Amino acid sequence: MIDQLKSRLNLKAVLRNLEVLPALDPVSAELISDWNISLRFSVWRDTQVVLDFHDGRCVFHSDSKESTSVNLFFSSPAHLNNMFENQASPLPLKGFTKLGFLKKEFSQLIGRLEYFLKPAAETVQDEAFKKVNLALSLNTAVFAIPELMKLDPVSRRIAPQFSAGSLQFSVDPDGPHAHIIFDGQSRAVAFPGPAVNPTAMTVFKNSEVAQALVAGTLDSFAAVATADIQLRGMIPLIDHSNVILDRLPLYLQ
Amino acid sequence: MNIYQYDKSKEWFQRAVKVIPCGVYGHFSPAPYAPVEAYPFFSDKAEGARFWDVDGNEFIDYMCAYGPMVLGYHHPEVEAAFQKQISISDANTVASPRMVELAEFLCEMIPVADWAFFARNGADVTNMAVMVARAATGRDKIIAIKGGYHGTSPWMQAPGHHGTIADDHDHLFRIPWNDLEALDRILAEHGSQIAAFMASPFHHPIFEDNALPADGYWQQVVDKMHENGSVVIVDDVRAGFRLHMGGSNEHYGFKPDMIAFSKAIANGHALSALVGTDDLKVDAAKVFHTGSFWYCAGSFAAALACLNILKAEDGPARMRMLGEKLTGGLRDLASSHGYTMIVSGEPALPYLRLADDETLMLQQAWCGECTRRGAFFTSHHNWFLSTAHTEDDIEKTLQIADEAFKAVKKQFGS
Ligand SMILES: Cc1ncc(COP(=O)(O)O)c(C=O)c1O
Repeated sequence: MIDQLKSRLNLKAVLRNLEVLPALDPVSAELISDWNISLRFSVWRDTQVVLDFHDGRCVFHSDSKESTSVNLFFSSPAHLNNMFENQASPLPLKGFTKLGFLKKEFSQLIGRLEYFLKPAAETVQDEAFKKVNLALSLNTAVFAIPELMKLDPVSRRIAPQFSAGSLQFSVDPDGPHAHIIFDGQSRAVAFPGPAVNPTAMTVFKNSEVAQALVAGTLDSFAAVATADIQLRGMIPLIDHSNVILDRLPLYLQ
Repeated sequence: MNIYQYDKSKEWFQRAVKVIPCGVYGHFSPAPYAPVEAYPFFSDKAEGARFWDVDGNEFIDYMCAYGPMVLGYHHPEVEAAFQKQISISDANTVASPRMVELAEFLCEMIPVADWAFFARNGADVTNMAVMVARAATGRDKIIAIKGGYHGTSPWMQAPGHHGTIADDHDHLFRIPWNDLEALDRILAEHGSQIAAFMASPFHHPIFEDNALPADGYWQQVVDKMHENGSVVIVDDVRAGFRLHMGGSNEHYGFKPDMIAFSKAIANGHALSALVGTDDLKVDAAKVFHTGSFWYCAGSFAAALACLNILKAEDGPARMRMLGEKLTGGLRDLASSHGYTMIVSGEPALPYLRLADDETLMLQQAWCGECTRRGAFFTSHHNWFLSTAHTEDDIEKTLQIADEAFKAVKKQFGS
């Protein structure tokens, strides 16, 4: 189960960031500008996702049936997780002619994702870097919630306690934002960007506060009391989500 | 109208958070105060229906210490009884006669009570009630209500939350309030294992409208549980002595087997009580449950004074009258500003919510605007009236509320 959840997080919380990366990072935007290709990542007897690159954009689909130009197959969740740790390659089932693309261009794009999400010690963390890092970190966390609700044993006990509604995470004054919609029946879906009429909001006063939280250096209780983190609306959605988010480091570093 | 600032509260919070987990934790935690800037965190002074925060801001207090204050802070007769008792004995090596007097008093005043057992906090006696029910029935499982609060012991907490484990909830079924079919289903499937049904006399969850018992609900619960050989426990920790001096069940016309009281019982002095019927007395005697401070005698003396005064003055009737004035006034005021105020629960401890916004953000903003003008309102929890509130206080509160409506209208539009 741990491998299964990890693999879903790798695909649906980490890899999904390719959807937003080009809008944040000019290097990634340049890389994909003329791509016209769709990639399916499927794990045997489990989950699958599609990345559809066209017109300089990347669209992510979860569990889509659409046919794709390349199918990458993983024999098990562990196999997929190993690829994310650079220790294994997928088995291409379709799109052999695209192997060169995968090895070179696609790898470069994944490299950009890693550059921002798992920065090497020597990476210069300037303002531009921090902005992208924050957006991707926020997305990863929010995208992870629905997956944790399905497979993490603690989050599964929390899941039935969510009433229907939406929870938006925002960094003032200019974003990033991400949100999650709960259906009130133990399920949720997450999205980048702001929600329409969110039922609850967690708002970080500025990016420094949000970055400190991501870095694990913020006392979040003090931050709530000083309004550095503002909570609004149906606070139980926030409370439950926070407990679930505390589970994330068990699966993703 | 003066808009309050909380600089000293913030300073104290900064000191607190260095040495206390969370700074201010539990039900006083700033987390549900949205916007948090509208609320004070620390106070050094309280009198009657008011408290003053460390910045010197004065509040008409509609949370009443979350229930314990019922006659007004520093009620002279209660304080005199308390002082008199502690001047002769408080902590001691053997029990106090005041404890016996209080048990006699409760057995006299509360129809269900043939015995009384004392502790300090609400959860001490909700736990005791469950242990007694288990001892009496030889069964494990408890039925409670979704969203019902009985304290913070692991089994009472929301599953999955920090510090709890999956097994904590193995013997608990949570069913929706007022849902007899759900009760029937549990009884049909697990009847022979059910020790007790426990609920508050009316449903007072947080972040949600409160709900009174449907006609006949409680009597049917009692009948079904008794037919099943199970025990009925009313958790009257929050509502106790605000609806009826004989227990809130008397207000609704039914008789459970045990009732848990705390909060208002001693006007702010630490005390809780479990009362029950004769049938359960031997089982209650067999259960071992105690605490270092459970015999401190000052609280017994304070409770005797508090309950005598509440009874003599018909406190529940006064709090109902004041609650009706307050909630009726706020409802009319909301409507004059183009809003709809939904009032639920009981007038003596009402829950209010502006219907024009499902997210509660409007309600939160309005409660915040009231608070920073001197009427302390929370947006997530029912409020409390006390006998110390006056009609003048309510008049002043309505003026504050009026200003607050104007302020939120500016912020949200109508
Ligand atoms: C209905 C009810 N039961 C039990 C409790 C627990 O009481 P305590 O916090 O004193 O343990 C509370 C406290 O708010 C309550 O409202």
